[in-house]
Amino acid sequence: MGFGPILSALMRNKTGPALVALQIAVTLAIVINSLFIILQRVEKMNRDPGIDVDNVIVTYVRGFGDDFDVIASITNDINLIKTIPGVVAATVTNHVPLSGSGSATGLRTVPDETIDAVSTGRYRWGEEGLDALGVTLSRGRNFYAEEVNYILPDTSAPTPPSVLVTQDLADSLFPDDDALGKSVYWGDMEPSTIVGIIDHMHGSWVNWDKLGNVVIQPGKPAYTTNKYIIRVEPGMRDELMPIIEQKLGESNRRRVIKSNRSLEELADRSYRRDRGMAIILSVVITLLIGLTALVIVGLSSFHVTQRRKQIGTRRALGAKRIDIIKQFMLENWLITTAGATLGVVLTVGVAYWLEVSFELERLDWRLLPAGIVTLWVLSSLAVFEPARRAAAVPPAVATRSV
Amino acid sequence: MFSYNVKLALKSMRRNLILTALMIAAIGVGIGISMTTMTVYYMMNGNPIPDKSDVLFAITMDSWSPLRPFNDDKPERAPHQLTFHDAERLLALGEGKRQTAMFESSLIIEPVNEDELPFEAGARVASSDFFTMFNVPFIYGSGWDKSADAAAEPVVVLTKQLNERLFGGENSVGKQLIMQGTYFQVAGVIDTWEPTPRFYDPINGAFQEINEMFIPYSLTLPLELQSAGSDWGWKAEDITSFEQWLNSESSWVQYFVELESPRDREAYVAHLDAYVGEQKLLGRFERPMNNNVYNVMEWMDYHEVVANDSKVLVGLSFLFLTVCLLSTIALLLTKFVGKKSETSLRRALGASRKVIFNQQLVEVAVIGCVGGLIGLLLATAGLKGIQVLYEAPDGLVSLDWVMVMTAIGLAVVSSMIAGLYPAWRVCKIPPAAQLKTQ
Repeated sequence: MGFGPILSALMRNKTGPALVALQIAVTLAIVINSLFIILQRVEKMNRDPGIDVDNVIVTYVRGFGDDFDVIASITNDINLIKTIPGVVAATVTNHVPLSGSGSATGLRTVPDETIDAVSTGRYRWGEEGLDALGVTLSRGRNFYAEEVNYILPDTSAPTPPSVLVTQDLADSLFPDDDALGKSVYWGDMEPSTIVGIIDHMHGSWVNWDKLGNVVIQPGKPAYTTNKYIIRVEPGMRDELMPIIEQKLGESNRRRVIKSNRSLEELADRSYRRDRGMAIILSVVITLLIGLTALVIVGLSSFHVTQRRKQIGTRRALGAKRIDIIKQFMLENWLITTAGATLGVVLTVGVAYWLEVSFELERLDWRLLPAGIVTLWVLSSLAVFEPARRAAAVPPAVATRSV
Repeated sequence: MFSYNVKLALKSMRRNLILTALMIAAIGVGIGISMTTMTVYYMMNGNPIPDKSDVLFAITMDSWSPLRPFNDDKPERAPHQLTFHDAERLLALGEGKRQTAMFESSLIIEPVNEDELPFEAGARVASSDFFTMFNVPFIYGSGWDKSADAAAEPVVVLTKQLNERLFGGENSVGKQLIMQGTYFQVAGVIDTWEPTPRFYDPINGAFQEINEMFIPYSLTLPLELQSAGSDWGWKAEDITSFEQWLNSESSWVQYFVELESPRDREAYVAHLDAYVGEQKLLGRFERPMNNNVYNVMEWMDYHEVVANDSKVLVGLSFLFLTVCLLSTIALLLTKFVGKKSETSLRRALGASRKVIFNQQLVEVAVIGCVGGLIGLLLATAGLKGIQVLYEAPDGLVSLDWVMVMTAIGLAVVSSMIAGLYPAWRVCKIPPAAQLKTQ
């Protein structure tokens, strides 16, 4: 049996098949657009931060009392942390990458306030900073120990002019030139010299489009809250975290351990909106596909029962079992394809709405053919069992009165 | 008649259990998902202080760089925070009915006894008007007096939780605690207060818990209080002392004013213009005059408090509900076809079309109700999941009775709409036709 009789059968009773086709169309629009959003979020979360996230511990402490000597406290803390077996490197820093808290500035290649600056994340840490984050320097040199001094708040002590920049920032500042050894100018037009280039590293705000732009100055910030970045041997993080907290707590009672967390936890928290959206949409499309498949199974089962007599008659007139299966599969295929065609239009419509209203990226068109093929396979699977049962109807049914 | 219809409906539902279960599942899942996303949207989009949202205004003044706007993408906007000294002068002028300058900070609460441990607590540094302006409820005591503002007295208002931790929840008014080496006197303890969104500070987060305590803004200089929130600067200034920092062009103070009536906003902007006009003579505020006031809901829009993700989810979940309704219509049609002979028989025995039609609708309404209840359960689970995923404070996203009624109503109404066409089809079945073939 070809398309002809099936089509004319479908046309005789349009409403039911039309509803199923419409349902398939809307399903396709939701699934493809959701899937696109999920893929984008997953891609974003899987970006390489250039940092040894798994083996870094971040500890914030804050002293109190008039006689609290912040410089002595930081010096003792870092020395103490480094005596703990398993600790690879430790530094005090102004901010912690990936944490959602940071500082940004604008840099220029010429000392002229009227031209636009290149925006970048800004950090300040000691000569062990790169090692403490597991960041690799691709060219140039790290800070010398003598360049690294304590920086107190509300002082304008001169900072040595050496800075490290990421390759991303180097490329934004000097698109045509090698940035190593070049001068850059801060907002106050003070110059610095790029002494080293970091291959790749993420800054503090994962939603910022300048995430890869980072500039680092030498110094040990001695502010109210002291932030320590500590890298440990692989696999030792969870074991060392409580030890570090305990030792720091015991060494000085005039101080509060504000927080002691893994960098992984801080980074996860920064990405929680993206992860949340990806998980919610995954649940939504799973439920949707499940529901649509069940409805197709339910409807076709019911139709098989309704059409037992008709099937028996066809069998009695010489149709083979495979012909009956073919009939149901073909009918389903026609409905699915009609739904998919309408679905493509709807999908593009929804994608346009998302792009215009919410500044989402343009839908990747390759998801469309992939979605249609998946739909064919799924709906064929859904209708196969009912079709098989239809084929099992014996020809003798036709001869019975009811 | 109604109870008879319900009885028939239940009977009919039992006869085609699989189709009925599918319909209930479709409505349940559709309602569950759309109520989950709607509740989150409703929470984000809610008015946190309905009786005052049109007389409370956040203010902005354009003190930014003469060379470029504060926000390149929205050049018409002034910085969303003020400098410390501008806020202080506006407080002194006191043009509105009430006003507060404010920022977030944190202080260490030092132990009184040797065996206690010090800990850090978040503080909102604000003016005495804060509490009356924002309808803050008190359990004990009250906010501090204007005289405490003027004299920079170390007084503190605690949240219920912090009072619990420090004083075991008793009336602690008049008691003292040590912070920054200073003895603070407790002026009051506030009751649970969860404005959602946290409208007075969307900049540092519209969906966080409120700070653990409140202290006077005038303590900023004597105690050298530092902002734990964001600060924005454009000018390269030589800062070597805390006082210089307070006098710098850095914007880090938020400012709210309460006016007598929404009509007073233009007069207040004129007041700001006059202030900025004076400052211009001193060589500050070099940009064109750009002072604004935003009422609470405008301020929420300004900061895009409703996340785009939430809007996308609401849109997609309503498409989902459409799929569920299409399923329901298809399933109902199929089911009613199977009831042809029964309907014919009832018609032949004298049941009018209207009776048949009503009976079909009662059946879908019952299905809608059951689906709606299941949807509510799913929505409760969904909201719990969202709370875990986004680490939201307890109780931030939960169904209130408005949402419960909406869910049931939506379920019943949408299933009835879905049932109209199939019911119409059924009552067109002629009385005798089906009987003949038997």
